[in-house]
Amino acid sequence: MKKQFLIIFTTALLAGCYPDGPDYVEDIDVVYTVYDQAYDFKTQKTFAMPDKIAVSVEVTSEDTLIEYMNPIYATPILQAIQRNMENYGWSRVNVDQNPDIVLTPAGLSTTTYFYSYWYDWWYGGYWGWYGWYYPPYYTVSSYTTGTLLMVVADPNQANQSPINRSPALWIAAANGLLTYSYDLSRVSEGIDQAFTQSPYLNLK
Amino acid sequence: MKKLLIIIFCFNACATVMAQSNFTLFYSVGFGTGDLGDFIDKTSWRGMSMDYRYAFQPNIAAGFSVAWTTFYEEKGRDTYSTENQSLTGKQFRYSNQVPILATLTYFSQPDGPVNPFATIGIGTMYTRRNTDMNVYTMEQEAWHFLLQPEVGVQAMIGEGVAFTVSGKYYHGFEAGSELSDPQSYFALNVGFSFIGL
Repeated sequence: MKKQFLIIFTTALLAGCYPDGPDYVEDIDVVYTVYDQAYDFKTQKTFAMPDKIAVSVEVTSEDTLIEYMNPIYATPILQAIQRNMENYGWSRVNVDQNPDIVLTPAGLSTTTYFYSYWYDWWYGGYWGWYGWYYPPYYTVSSYTTGTLLMVVADPNQANQSPINRSPALWIAAANGLLTYSYDLSRVSEGIDQAFTQSPYLNLK
Repeated sequence: MKKLLIIIFCFNACATVMAQSNFTLFYSVGFGTGDLGDFIDKTSWRGMSMDYRYAFQPNIAAGFSVAWTTFYEEKGRDTYSTENQSLTGKQFRYSNQVPILATLTYFSQPDGPVNPFATIGIGTMYTRRNTDMNVYTMEQEAWHFLLQPEVGVQAMIGEGVAFTVSGKYYHGFEAGSELSDPQSYFALNVGFSFIGL
């Protein structure tokens, strides 16, 4: 009786479920920003931005092929970036109108694979008999994360660089699990958050 | 799980054959203090403790204690900043404590129906702290030198069985470099003691 009681009590204690963690894909969305503290954003006024978002670059022997995001998704993303920049007092100009800074968005997706196997080691032959074995079981899983990058550079700084490239002054990355439902609200929330946590971009 | 049951079974077997042995199984509620309390201020409702005591004098018992408490908190969406970097997201924080102790207990009324006691424990505590964000976890581990005072009371409710309540304070001292801050918590325990005659 005492032993039964102990067993029941112990099982009840251990069954007190281990905590859960994230429940929704939104729960793991993160936004990261970093900026150059030496650069004075306040004295700038204009920015230029492409009309397309690059998602992949393939360099072949003859050419550089850039793959762009479908405009159905790219347009609202670019609009969200422009809205945030204008709220902070920037005005958009064409890239040939000598902009103070250039903002380049890019989209990336990364798939991580992991696999495990399980082997039925207790099957098979007796001693001295070469029997057959079941093959091990392999399981493969993967997850894909998507990242929206925004990079700001000052084209006037290119001549200060030995390789004639402008260093990045502001990098923002919004990362989350890709669900292939192209949930634009998650992306635009990420863009809004990137600007919210970067008050130094505010010219007002 | 199976191993644990075997261990419990052995303890229980001991309790019935050895004189003056006292085995207590506790459910414990944890309250983080100090650095642990800053990391997770939520109360832990997930904890247990197994305490074995052997009375070599009517009033004095030596024994050991093993416990496990899991603290957990889901932080709201927040921005964490350093000098020129900011990261916004939800954090899921976990802290597991496994104290392993040698104990010395003083029973004030060993023959009475209600028996208050005080314990001092010395040993080590394993701490594993996880901070989950995005698809990553940051894991910090430490083995602390541990001191644990306890006060409690055992009330006999039947032949060789007592209802026991106790308060323990675990103080794990500064350890290593990964999670160097002292980790401490208070545990409120309720459980049953099985006393061998």
